[in-house]
Amino acid sequence: MEVKTNEAKRPAAALNPLKFRAAIYNNMDSEDIGFSNYSYWKSTLRTFFKNKAVVALVALVTGMIVMSFMYPIFSTVDPNKVSMLPLEWNLRPSAEHWFGTDTLGRDIWARAWYGCRNSFLLGFCIACSDVGFGMIAGALWGYNKKIDPFMIELYNIMTNIPSTVYMVLLAYIMNTSYITLFVSMASRGWIVEARFFRNRILSIRDSEYNIASQCLGTPMRRIATRNIIPHIVSLIIMEAALCIPYSIGSEVFMGFVGVGMPVDAITLGNIVNQGRASFTLHPYQMLLPTVILCTITVAFYVIGNKFADASDPRNHV
Amino acid sequence: MKRIAALVLVLALMFSFTACQNGDKNVNANQTTEPVATKTPEEISNAAQEITDAKEYKSVYRTSFNKSYASFNYFSTAYSTVRSIVTNCIDGLVEPDIYGVYVPSLAESWTANDDETVWTFKIRQGIKWVDHTGADTGMEVTAQDFVDGIRYIGDPLNDAYSLRVVRNLIEGLYDYYWTLDDIDSGEVADKTREEVLASFDNTVGVKAIDEYTVEYTLTSSAPYFLSLIESSMLLLPIEYDYAIELGEDFGVDNEHMLYCGAYYISAFERDKAITLTKNPLYWDKNNVTVETVEYQMIPEGTTSLEMFKRGELDDATVEAEEYLSMKGTEWEGKLIPTERSLSTNYLWLDFSGANPEFNTFVQSENFRKALQYSLNREAIASLRDPVDPQRVLRATINAEGAIYDGNGVDYTDYAPLKAVKDTDYNKPELARQYMEAAVAELCDENGNIKGIEAGKVDYLPVGTFEVDAKLPVTVIYVGTDDENEIVMAQLMKTMVEEAIGTDLIDFQIVCFSGWTYGTVADPYNYDIYFDSLSTGYADPSGILTRMTTDGAENVGGYDVPEYDALIDQALNAATFEERLEKFAEAEAYLCNGAYVIPFISSLRGYYMTNCMPFTSPLTLYGNSKFKGALVMDKPLTYSEYQTLDAAYEIARTDALKNAD
Amino acid sequence: MTKYILTRTLRSLLTVAIVFVTVFMLLRLMPLSGYFPQEILKETDEATRMTYLRNQGLLDHPFVQLWRFVKNLFQGDLGRSLTVYPKVPIITLLKEKIPVTAAFGFASMVIGIVLGISLGLVMVRFKNNWGDRLGTFFILIVRAVPSIIYLFFIQVWISKWFDLPLVFYKDRPESWVLPTICLSLGSIAYYALWLRRFMVDEENKDYVKFAMVKGLPKRVVWKKHVFKNAVIPLVIYLPSDLLFIISGSLVIESLYAIPGTGGLLTTAIKSQDNNLVQVIVLMYAVLSVIGVFLGDLLVAFVDPRIKLTEGE
Repeated sequence: MEVKTNEAKRPAAALNPLKFRAAIYNNMDSEDIGFSNYSYWKSTLRTFFKNKAVVALVALVTGMIVMSFMYPIFSTVDPNKVSMLPLEWNLRPSAEHWFGTDTLGRDIWARAWYGCRNSFLLGFCIACSDVGFGMIAGALWGYNKKIDPFMIELYNIMTNIPSTVYMVLLAYIMNTSYITLFVSMASRGWIVEARFFRNRILSIRDSEYNIASQCLGTPMRRIATRNIIPHIVSLIIMEAALCIPYSIGSEVFMGFVGVGMPVDAITLGNIVNQGRASFTLHPYQMLLPTVILCTITVAFYVIGNKFADASDPRNHV
Repeated sequence: MKRIAALVLVLALMFSFTACQNGDKNVNANQTTEPVATKTPEEISNAAQEITDAKEYKSVYRTSFNKSYASFNYFSTAYSTVRSIVTNCIDGLVEPDIYGVYVPSLAESWTANDDETVWTFKIRQGIKWVDHTGADTGMEVTAQDFVDGIRYIGDPLNDAYSLRVVRNLIEGLYDYYWTLDDIDSGEVADKTREEVLASFDNTVGVKAIDEYTVEYTLTSSAPYFLSLIESSMLLLPIEYDYAIELGEDFGVDNEHMLYCGAYYISAFERDKAITLTKNPLYWDKNNVTVETVEYQMIPEGTTSLEMFKRGELDDATVEAEEYLSMKGTEWEGKLIPTERSLSTNYLWLDFSGANPEFNTFVQSENFRKALQYSLNREAIASLRDPVDPQRVLRATINAEGAIYDGNGVDYTDYAPLKAVKDTDYNKPELARQYMEAAVAELCDENGNIKGIEAGKVDYLPVGTFEVDAKLPVTVIYVGTDDENEIVMAQLMKTMVEEAIGTDLIDFQIVCFSGWTYGTVADPYNYDIYFDSLSTGYADPSGILTRMTTDGAENVGGYDVPEYDALIDQALNAATFEERLEKFAEAEAYLCNGAYVIPFISSLRGYYMTNCMPFTSPLTLYGNSKFKGALVMDKPLTYSEYQTLDAAYEIARTDALKNAD
Repeated sequence: MTKYILTRTLRSLLTVAIVFVTVFMLLRLMPLSGYFPQEILKETDEATRMTYLRNQGLLDHPFVQLWRFVKNLFQGDLGRSLTVYPKVPIITLLKEKIPVTAAFGFASMVIGIVLGISLGLVMVRFKNNWGDRLGTFFILIVRAVPSIIYLFFIQVWISKWFDLPLVFYKDRPESWVLPTICLSLGSIAYYALWLRRFMVDEENKDYVKFAMVKGLPKRVVWKKHVFKNAVIPLVIYLPSDLLFIISGSLVIESLYAIPGTGGLLTTAIKSQDNNLVQVIVLMYAVLSVIGVFLGDLLVAFVDPRIKLTEGE
């Protein structure tokens, strides 16, 4: 043992002192070597934006969001302008109305952007609340064995009381407004997300490198922030992305139950629902809103997927 | 430029339709008179005969329904859908023939006393109740079965809901029902249930004089009693012991009921399919032409249309929008306009609501008239029928073509109502003038509405609203969340705001899902509410007596003593003509004062059919019967329909003349 | 293990009871006018309506009603429907409707799993190739386009092209095809999507790489390691899915006129058919508790790392 130690301490005599000099000890430099300047988030973003298609998609979505927020500010077309002349109802696309008019002669192009804005906002809020609360609850749930039975039963209770029951009741005591809609939609979404994250976290927690890490005594907080969150970031993005089409879909269902929004409110859900009635007759009325809706969903889905790939550290090299 | 030209063209068309419409009161006259006008009645009849003879007929009729048949208990259910099946399976005392003249059915003959308060029916002998296999049960339809029908609905425990009309009309039934109810709720303790039940034969005005004679004693003169028999399921017979033995199971499916009509329900698959098979023991089986009627449930309207096109169904309704899309296709010539609707759509104005602004204004006739004149009814009707909106308009509460006096004069042609019918209500300028008059009356010069304060209107569960006690007047329209109704409401909003001006009126739409009547209309949670009522039998009292100040249907909560007085006079009138005269006066009073605003009928759309028209009974008040129907293997064309219709009108005029 | 199952059962019973009582009480908060359809409301006066409600026992104290229901339940009487199918025994309704929905549900689930997993495998096998792209495209369509649009398209156009019936008929097997396909589209996409993701994840893991390097045949590695591990997260929902095939789909059943349970709960709630709602809720609550439990058992069975233990 001792011999070894000595050997290690003393440089080999064969080295030419002209060629090799002992380095002056530098605290900064020693840190530099000890820790690589690898930054997880920077690498993720760099990998993510390396893909040209992704850049295009991100640009497209950004463009749509900007458009949907700018259009209502700069446009002079009133999306709720009803025409009293039956001749102006259900017009086909023309120079005046790019995507035609609906059953009451309202301009579909204008309505689509207004609807897009409102649905975006609503979907965004719901995504934030569902995924946000869901992730926190899911993380606690996955990491704390003590609350597991409680959470499972809470989940069972919440998912087993049909949402329609309390939504019908909610409709009796609250005004129809965005807030009511948000409350009723967000009231249950989080627990479903929580269970999803819990299951993912459980499987990550039990994976080998984390068990190893735990054995080495790494504190739980560090495992959570360094080992787990990066892994589920992609899931978060994807779940959030899917929340937007989901919220538009449930918007329609809410209207069915009675927790709808004001009649004058324009949302993609509203428009698609109205267009549905005349789908076989005037398919073009559905075209624009559906295309916007699909573009959003597809884009978010693809972005989510690519981001998932990008966020995998193994793809960073 | 093109648009203006098209507009002119449409307006011209509309006027020409109006012209035709005024010339003839027949619903379809505007389309039917022209092509056949030059022919003589014989030629028309011959042409119609040729069409009828040239066809081949099938013995199966395939049709659809879109809402499930919840139950077949014809006494305890108010779902009008059930009636469409039951009317084919249980016969009443009388039925209309193909011209709408009442002819014997289970009753062979009938008489009424002079003031038409006692009606006696001779029942046909040897009519058997059959079960769901068409087998004879050995039980016979006797006078007692009609008495037992009333006995059944008179017991509150049997849950007959829609018995308002019958319960008030049959002598003693009202008291019988409520005495039993009081016993059930424990309010009356000095009688037992059994005693009251036993008293039925002595206290209630329905008796079996002998085995085949039933006599109804009514509380008031009812010249319309036969039409009530047609429309109300509560006057149908029942095999009492059978029904009581089954208890709550009676009528839950085809196996738990008995039949005495043209068909029995041979197969029943809930929410899916129903098969009616010809009753082998039916008294009039020679006139039952269709052997089997196959119903299937198709919830989506467009699907049934598509199935008709593929030859899988024998009839299909075509909505306004679908009509437009079928123009220029092979189907265009097969679209037949829906004939009639006895149901009227109107707007309730809330006289008792919590909105101080509206509540102040609605008391002013000027304001109500402003609303009345601000609607462009034709544009609204275009939503129902884009080609000929004129036929959808209706300014009266009772439908035209539904009630006739002894001389064959239509009730709505009585002078006071004729004036209402002939008024042009599409006058935006006038609406503005009326509104300005109302404003001058009710506001100070700064636009503050006198006598009220700003506040919060609580219309929950519909919603809460802020009002500032200033002009514009806040009006809260509450409708259902039905897509079509929302569209109509939005159109109305634009019309009212454009006619009256947004400086004076602020029209807000709220849609409410579910059964709005109980949560919106009944508790006065609205300012304006859209609703419909239909003429149920051949007498205006059906609707009008319910619309009095304390009537069940006074959803607006208005207080109009003049109207009540007129209704009283009508009910006490000596002759039927005088009665109608007074009713017409009362109805016109309500319309002219704009207490309610009737504006269109529920008529909508077109239909296509394989069925030869005018072959089955003309059921104005009830549901259509398949008895006598002729089913072709190809769709009827509109030109054939027109010829047949013309021939039918000629024959009908003769038949009605002979009936008197 | 026995102790675990016992406590778990007790806890589940408690959950079911909480769910049921909550729903039962919530239903009694609904306004009385809701028990009457529009048509009936307009035709009756207040007093007649109260008579009806009293006859149905709806004016009794909620606890009295609850006790009555529980008592009848133990005597095997589920009660009768109130407003949706007046007077029809609920047991009859369920007996009529569940088999229809379950048949479709089961068929579509089998198709969903078989096709979904095959598609997922194809996508992984041809990763970043045409198979993958085609599959992704399919998944995107199913998940992104509002379902009503493609369902409508399938019903109207596909039925025309292949000359298939527009609605379901019991005695015509060819009419079962479209509804089954429609029902399974969602689960095909679901299984394909997640299987692909989980397999790609798994494929990148070190132990897989090691197994490959070690010289195990690729087929064996995939079958024994990658696929097995990727399937585990999917397996947990399997029992629930299987039990809930009886709940049906509202839209598809209505499009194809399938007399199943699809819209039953929603319709019942909207019509305030208390009796029907509480029975369905009770049934679903029991099923879902069983489903979750079986799911956990199954995962413990297929994944040796996961153990069912009670609160350590």
